[in-house]
Amino acid sequence: MYMSVKRKSVLTKISLYLFYIFVSVFFLFPLLWTLSLSFKTIPELYRIPPSILPDSFAFDNYKYVIFQVNLLSGVWNSIKITLGTIIGTLAITIPAAYCFSRMKFRFSKPLQFIILMFQMISPLVVVVPLYRYFSMLNLLNSHTGLICIYIATSAPFQVWFLKSFIDTIPKELDEAAVIDGCSRPQTVVKIILPVIAPGIFSAVLLIFILSWSQFIIPYILIDTPSKMPIATMLVNLQSTLSQITTHYLASASIVAILPTIILFVFLQKYIVAALTAGAVKG
Amino acid sequence: MTKQISSSTKNESMHKKNVISRSNQRPFLWLLPLLSFLFLFFLLPCIDVIRTSFTNASMTSTDYKYTLNSYIRVFQDPSFLNVLWITLFFVAVSVVFQFVFGFAIALAVDHGEKKNMYGTVLTRTISLISWAIPGVAIGIIWKLLYSESQSGILNYLLTSMGFHSIAFLTNPFLALIFMTLANVWRGTAQSMILLYAGLKTVSIEVIEASDVDGAGPFRKILSIIVPSMKSVIMINILLNIINTFNTFDMIMSLTGGGPGRSTEVLVLSSYRTIFQQLDLGKGSAIAVVLLVINIVFASLYIRANREEN
Repeated sequence: MYMSVKRKSVLTKISLYLFYIFVSVFFLFPLLWTLSLSFKTIPELYRIPPSILPDSFAFDNYKYVIFQVNLLSGVWNSIKITLGTIIGTLAITIPAAYCFSRMKFRFSKPLQFIILMFQMISPLVVVVPLYRYFSMLNLLNSHTGLICIYIATSAPFQVWFLKSFIDTIPKELDEAAVIDGCSRPQTVVKIILPVIAPGIFSAVLLIFILSWSQFIIPYILIDTPSKMPIATMLVNLQSTLSQITTHYLASASIVAILPTIILFVFLQKYIVAALTAGAVKG
Repeated sequence: MTKQISSSTKNESMHKKNVISRSNQRPFLWLLPLLSFLFLFFLLPCIDVIRTSFTNASMTSTDYKYTLNSYIRVFQDPSFLNVLWITLFFVAVSVVFQFVFGFAIALAVDHGEKKNMYGTVLTRTISLISWAIPGVAIGIIWKLLYSESQSGILNYLLTSMGFHSIAFLTNPFLALIFMTLANVWRGTAQSMILLYAGLKTVSIEVIEASDVDGAGPFRKILSIIVPSMKSVIMINILLNIINTFNTFDMIMSLTGGGPGRSTEVLVLSSYRTIFQQLDLGKGSAIAVVLLVINIVFASLYIRANREEN
């Protein structure tokens, strides 16, 4: 009896480890293959059978995409747009989150749910009319216009997320400040913000990764290559490069995904907290 | 203003609460920036799409008149039915596999943690990485894997194991299947993370009680764990449906809707009609179909969320 229980538990462990290996291979293999391609030379690309590892880990392909294709301008554009989106989104969602958490007024709940609904609407639906407005206003190829739309698309979730953080602060804390003569904006800055700092950090990471990945909006609104963020630049590169330059495409993809992967791997605690907020009871 | 109110109420502690919660709040002012952004960049465009869908507008001229013709053309177009079927297949198969696979990983990692096994943190992290990768890059990465030239890695592995090589992206039906596989790779993380967090809320007493009952692992999952996570599972499935419905980036770089129109989902169809055929009226009508589906699932999601909170 004892043996069989023990054997059963060993078997469970072995099958769990096998499953872990399967999961790791399934999720890592595509990335590792792209990484390997990104170091290969043209003769290596066409070698039959394909070699798993590149002959050398020279950074020639990376140098090419960064300096010849000017991928760095895409990275730089993405950074600018992303930072603008982070600042703008926080600026409009923190007051709204505070308001929904602390003030009682009619239609507060329905309004919150309507706002959440916006999050589910495909950006394509809104970007079609915006394309027409922007071309009339000469805002096509403008980062400011792009940032405004990004703010509108990332705000709905962030209002909910930040509100859930403010909800955890006891009301007495900020009401005491109001009684002591703080105005509400002062209360938010002095009392609320320091307490919800970890939540804001999660929000920043989430907005960063989602803005970095945005595609359909810049794909439609931006056609000047020097203005493109990294995501649309990749597709642009894909359509201009031929089969023979797969290794460049691979290294460009690695450059594009590296920032978000690094953020995710090292700061996943904060990101996971944001991703599960709302769906799972604290 | 605020200062006056608070100083005048300083000695009237009885009324403090009322004064604070009523007189110096202006919710509209606090919501104004958010609401104006949502109005300008969301609501207004949505209304405009609906309006345009009832016109014969095109991208090349500014003249148009109101008509129902766009909708008639959409629904009489036999290829539109095909687009719906492709979208349905893509969404349904993706979501089922994302859920089953994500749940399996969540259970395996959770179980391993309870047994103090090695590699649980590593497996959890690896299974979530795809969430942080831009969809466009995911499409490119899978296109590289699916390469049908002789140096394509997947076909090389298949043939070296004695299988036939596969026309991953050139056969219309296979292209849909392998596009769905790439999307499972992409979306499993979202399931895994929600279900993993959900598992942590299942009370240990409930699981221990089932251990005493001697329930087998599968019965335990089906009759004890699943029911106690019902709303998280609902929320998760609805989120995955919505995300998959709205997928554009990955498809664009993986298949571009091809070969032919065999992987053209609803979003892509609307995009192509507007920006390639320049038929704004018809493309907007397709976008409205998309919008209606979005709103239906968003309402279901909100209802599930309401029950949870």
